[in-house]
Amino acid sequence: MNHELSAAFSAAMLGEYGNGFATTLYLVVVCSLVSYLIGVPLGVILCVSDQNGIHPNAPLNRILGTVVNIFRSIPFAILLVVALPFTKLLIGTKVGNNAFLVPLTLSAAPFIARMVESSLKEVDRGVIEATQSMGSSNWQIITKVLIPEAKPSLLVGAAISVTTILGYTPLATLVGGGGLGAIAVQYGLYRFQNDIMYTSSILLVILVQILQEAGMKLAGSVDKRAK
Amino acid sequence: MKKLISILLAASLLTAGLIGCGESSSESKTITVGASATPHAEILKVAQPILAKEGYTLNIKTYDDYVLPNTATEDGDIDANYFQHKPYLDSFNQKNNTHLVSVAAIHYEPYGIYAGTSSSLTALPDGSKIAVPNDPTNEARALQLLAAQKLFAIRDGAGLSATKNDITSNPHNYDIVEMEAAVIPKSLDSVALAVINGNYAIGAGLKVSQALAVEDKNSDAAKTYANIIAVKKGNENKPAVQALVKALQSQEVKDYITKQYGGAVVPVS
Repeated sequence: MNHELSAAFSAAMLGEYGNGFATTLYLVVVCSLVSYLIGVPLGVILCVSDQNGIHPNAPLNRILGTVVNIFRSIPFAILLVVALPFTKLLIGTKVGNNAFLVPLTLSAAPFIARMVESSLKEVDRGVIEATQSMGSSNWQIITKVLIPEAKPSLLVGAAISVTTILGYTPLATLVGGGGLGAIAVQYGLYRFQNDIMYTSSILLVILVQILQEAGMKLAGSVDKRAK
Repeated sequence: MKKLISILLAASLLTAGLIGCGESSSESKTITVGASATPHAEILKVAQPILAKEGYTLNIKTYDDYVLPNTATEDGDIDANYFQHKPYLDSFNQKNNTHLVSVAAIHYEPYGIYAGTSSSLTALPDGSKIAVPNDPTNEARALQLLAAQKLFAIRDGAGLSATKNDITSNPHNYDIVEMEAAVIPKSLDSVALAVINGNYAIGAGLKVSQALAVEDKNSDAAKTYANIIAVKKGNENKPAVQALVKALQSQEVKDYITKQYGGAVVPVS
């Protein structure tokens, strides 16, 4: 037991935890940013083109909705393998952390699109109608009303999305990527070194808690309803 | 009189029932074996008719992982399994407190170093990526094969639990990429070389003749890593188990293996 404990906290392992923490942070941040870059416009279009939206467009809504649903239905491990040629095309290699980011983002962006769409749809119709009666354009409604009014909900959605993305990072080990999750899988699951598995898992839980708290605090500070 | 007859009837039915139960539990003619899809389940299918001729029904249950077939055998859900080698079995017993034993060795699957973007073992650029499986015994075996080709040196005694951290000298700074064994064959265009399991090489359509280097047939690796039939301790001499082994070691099955897998699977008996 003592020998195992010291193995979990040996100099080599501490270095690995450090690298793992940094890699997990890198994966989560980069994926979240790019997924939001893709997901927000998608979510806006889905909300606006809905039959109750400010610019209904049934065919567009249905096609986009179907594409988003398809990506959301494919199990992640399958998506990863199916996307390998695309990954190679995009970044030149199928192995490593960046190679993992491609399917991770392809999976997260549709999820985020739905979360954004849902947040935008919650905005009070009355406020939208008031703005419309003042003669504002659709673009103004989106940027000056929909998104600002939906901010608290968008932030809560972001907290959920980011922690979901974090939950997928252990799968980086499939393509030779790193991170705390990969350490937990390789040493814990495969080599039955439970102490290392628990340590890296605890570090991951801490990371998740930090991100969740930060997200909730941000949401609380902009929520008008509480004031 | 009626009461006597009904008592006698009940007693004889009960006795017949007990005898019947006794027979089926000690001489079951059905055997369920858990196996990996390729080549194990395929080989078992060839043994099915051979066992049928002896009056045994062989049920084959396919598993995708390397943990469940052992736990199922320990729990009695299946009678035997056929997917692992002895070192993995010993390690599994030790870590999981299971009581599984090897009954017989059937075949071995030579590990191969396959070409990725480079088709030479000697003219590899410095810093090249080499893909190895990330699970314990497979990674150790892959690293030992690479070390035997003099690509780098491994600490003496690292043996079957060798990991990246046991590499003592790597003068060309090869980047060892530890990844999921099943994904390696799909990533050959992103690494210089890849070490691939027999199972996955077959599944990916690779031929052993294409490999740049293979584990030698007379090597320790071949003997140590032979794939075995494993059962729960105490079941080794069950007639169904013995019949299974006999069928798998028959000439018919050996011929099938040699013809079907072109050197990727080699019978050991």
